[in-house]
Amino acid sequence: MNKHFQKIYFDPYLFFSLLLLSGLGLFFLFSASNADFSIVLKQFVYVVAGFIIMILISQPDPDIFRRTSGLFLIFSFLLLGITYLFGPEINGAQRWVRIGPFSFQSSELLKLAVPIFLANFLFNKKLPIQRNEIFLSLLIIFFCFFIVFRQPDLGTALIIAFSGLFVLFLSGLSWTFMGGSLVLLILSSPFIWNILLQPFQRQRIATFFNQDSDPFGASWNIIQSKVAIGSGGLFGKGFGEGSQTQLNFLPETETDFIFSVIGEEFGFLGVLLLLSIYLFILLRCFYLALNARDRFCRLVIGGLTLTFAANLIINLCMVVGLLPVVGMPLPFISKGGSSLISLFFAFGIIISMSTHKKFLPQ
Amino acid sequence: MIFEERQIEKNNFSSRAIILFVIIMLSLLAVLIQVFTLQISGYNDYQIAALKNKNYTVPVQALRGEIFDRNGKVLIKNEPTFDLITQPNLIDDIDSFLDEIQPVIFLSESDKFQYKKLHKEKAFANKELVLKKDLSKKEIARFNVRSFNFKNAFIAKRYRRISEYPNIFSHVLGYTSRTEDAYKSMPEIPRSHWRDAELVYAQGLITGRTGLEEIYEDHLSGIHGERVYEINARGKLVQSLSLIKPSKGSDLYTNLDIEAQKSAAKFLGDRRGAVVAIDLDSGGINVLYSSPTYSINQLSNGMNEDDFQILINDADKPFFNRALQGRYPPASTIKPAIGMYGLSNNIVDWDFEMKDPGFFTLPETGRVFRGWRKGGHGKVNLQKAFLVSSNTYFFSLAYQADIEELSNHLKSLGFGQKVCLDCFDEDQALVPTPEWKYSIMNVGWVKGDTVNIGVGQGYLLVTPMQLANYASLLAKKGIFNKPAIVTQDKLKKPLKIWQDSRFNDSDWNKMHQALLGVIESDYGTARSIRDLKEFEVAGKSGTAELVSLDSKEAYQEVRTSELLRDHSIIIVFGPMPNPKYAVSVVIENGESGGAVAGPVAIEVLKSLINE
Repeated sequence: MNKHFQKIYFDPYLFFSLLLLSGLGLFFLFSASNADFSIVLKQFVYVVAGFIIMILISQPDPDIFRRTSGLFLIFSFLLLGITYLFGPEINGAQRWVRIGPFSFQSSELLKLAVPIFLANFLFNKKLPIQRNEIFLSLLIIFFCFFIVFRQPDLGTALIIAFSGLFVLFLSGLSWTFMGGSLVLLILSSPFIWNILLQPFQRQRIATFFNQDSDPFGASWNIIQSKVAIGSGGLFGKGFGEGSQTQLNFLPETETDFIFSVIGEEFGFLGVLLLLSIYLFILLRCFYLALNARDRFCRLVIGGLTLTFAANLIINLCMVVGLLPVVGMPLPFISKGGSSLISLFFAFGIIISMSTHKKFLPQ
Repeated sequence: MIFEERQIEKNNFSSRAIILFVIIMLSLLAVLIQVFTLQISGYNDYQIAALKNKNYTVPVQALRGEIFDRNGKVLIKNEPTFDLITQPNLIDDIDSFLDEIQPVIFLSESDKFQYKKLHKEKAFANKELVLKKDLSKKEIARFNVRSFNFKNAFIAKRYRRISEYPNIFSHVLGYTSRTEDAYKSMPEIPRSHWRDAELVYAQGLITGRTGLEEIYEDHLSGIHGERVYEINARGKLVQSLSLIKPSKGSDLYTNLDIEAQKSAAKFLGDRRGAVVAIDLDSGGINVLYSSPTYSINQLSNGMNEDDFQILINDADKPFFNRALQGRYPPASTIKPAIGMYGLSNNIVDWDFEMKDPGFFTLPETGRVFRGWRKGGHGKVNLQKAFLVSSNTYFFSLAYQADIEELSNHLKSLGFGQKVCLDCFDEDQALVPTPEWKYSIMNVGWVKGDTVNIGVGQGYLLVTPMQLANYASLLAKKGIFNKPAIVTQDKLKKPLKIWQDSRFNDSDWNKMHQALLGVIESDYGTARSIRDLKEFEVAGKSGTAELVSLDSKEAYQEVRTSELLRDHSIIIVFGPMPNPKYAVSVVIENGESGGAVAGPVAIEVLKSLINE
């Protein structure tokens, strides 16, 4: 027992790069919120809480995540149910659940629960994975996707679906199956467009393909975002000096479009710095995934890392105009507690899995 | 799981993870390339787009130049007052606003009515609307104490376009009025921004509409400045970024003479007519007066609708500029021109004599053209014909003229064309030709038409401006400057306007002698004005018949209707023998040229000479 308490499971590379990233995030947020100190302070509390959670989560042996994966998924569903029944409606979407003074976006939990559950479900299966296992996995993925999509929250729903699909892919899904699914997806796209997508989501996608169609309406966000980034140039306009940001031409500066703020105020060099920090974290995570102690940990680290990467890339592509606008925060930078806490949670799991050595071979 | 299987699984995982990692790298690279495209390649475009978003340029109104008379006395100036200005877009309910502000600023019912009307019409055009002009000190103090109650109103210094002589100079100076199209002059500022212009005039954006204000608009209006504001996404002004100051319009120095213009107005009185006076040294127009008149101060600074309707409906047509647009038969004042034609075409010479029986009979048809004096003037030569204004002599002379040549001769003297260099809306009046008559009336020219021109009746019509120009030509023996209101340096050198090799200096001297005699001799038709002055004056009077009549008895019947009475006309120049000024006067329905128009011309001359 003494020995157990003396050792702190800790990854210095991830810890310091996340510290740098979160610190920069608070710095950027100060400018993005038009120097609103209370917003930064609140976010600072979340960051501190996130680090504490990450360190706590990384202490127990990762076996606990495997054993509790079913419970975790059920707990996530329960929370989503509560959200559906009692959650307040904000901007036409029911995403939040209140716990005391805090609100939490319950769908964030699924980003963790789905990959862990699937990893647990698949890690001891023979290769290649059998059809009924695939079918069951896909059913879970689609169910989770659908309930979040109905909130409606397309961004998070997509990330959840990706998180599951990544695990499925990494665990050895056959290429022929994937090819077949892709054909099926393309064939069913008219159905998805007409029935599944909400009118505003269709509008966003249409806007993406015709960005000059409605400069003061649907295309406003993306046009202003590109103007903000483009006008930053090589060195940027300086901290708090971005006219697009400070004069509110840029929408959602604190959340989805905070990257545009960075682009405007810190220029191409700022963007390079930021992207290299992300790249470093991703490289480290892949290294850890490849060297994980067993298949379960591999799958979980791989799944969570890829989820993080997908989250990052979708946000970046969206604000620079390479993808249609979907609600998706920039990890560790955007304002918001739920996504930040769940990210720290995920990294806690990754650190736990990469630092605990296996005592006995299975 | 056996060891090999685990190894296969691990390899399988690694290769798939690497595939995904490569996809992630490629995606990040795509993002980086896109950011590079935006920030490095597209920097200029996006920088401009960002500036366009936040920079909002509004014009800053320039003060107009002021206008001065030839002695440097101001004719039109910018007069500052403190006005109560409202912001129509911030007023939700006009009535309650007016009720609230009523105890602070005194408002009459018509003030309120006028304001409501303007509010309805102009609220969208301008961000400012003046509620009350020229506040008293008391009102300013009262408002300042309560200003926090009125977020939609403020007091500011605003200018008005004011003339000390608003009525006598109305036609020549002209008025300004609010304009909606000032943006044309500054295309770099979008039209929609003009509503946010920073104003210096209570009337808002103004432009010259008539007179010098219109003719010299570019000279007077100055250059509007530009203020660049930073605005936020909601269009709210955040701060002023830069200001290019407006440059005030240039002042205008004219040849006008306040005292002479006053004389013209005073001696014309409330009769309909016009006076034009020209400085013979420079061609400068000293007097340009048309009666009746109106107040340019009222028109420039907001005239109420009732007063405006009264002016519009006035039968005497005060807006009509008789000096430049009134078309009158020149009557006997044309005789010097006809004499010049006769001499230079060898139809007559100074010695030629004929008998004047009081009428002229047209040989072709037997039609009789009567003189003004029953029984005629006996034997007349050219000199006497001028003095006694013998119609018969000039009927007979014109009878021998070729109408085309005569028309060209009259045009060469400035008739039938615009003669003033900078007059607003000058009329060219009419020198008739056979083509003109045929095109208008569809009948041919007859000899009688030419005969009528000999005494300035018939189709020939001239303006007072043209008469003054003609008087200058006569006074300066053909070498003079074209008339201009504003002093123009380049025109200092006299231009040869009229010359004819067959009309030499001795002819000119005899002409001057004859025209001097019209006023100064015992036989002259205008001798009644001889004693009104202490200097000698040459000239020619005329009485323009509006109805062609055979006898004086018939005229007595006609003159009971005032508007059918003869026009009284005179041209004079003096002091002789070296004339300095030429004057023309027309008084509508004034009768008897010399006795009625003459004194006005002499008074104007006196004002000009005594300075």
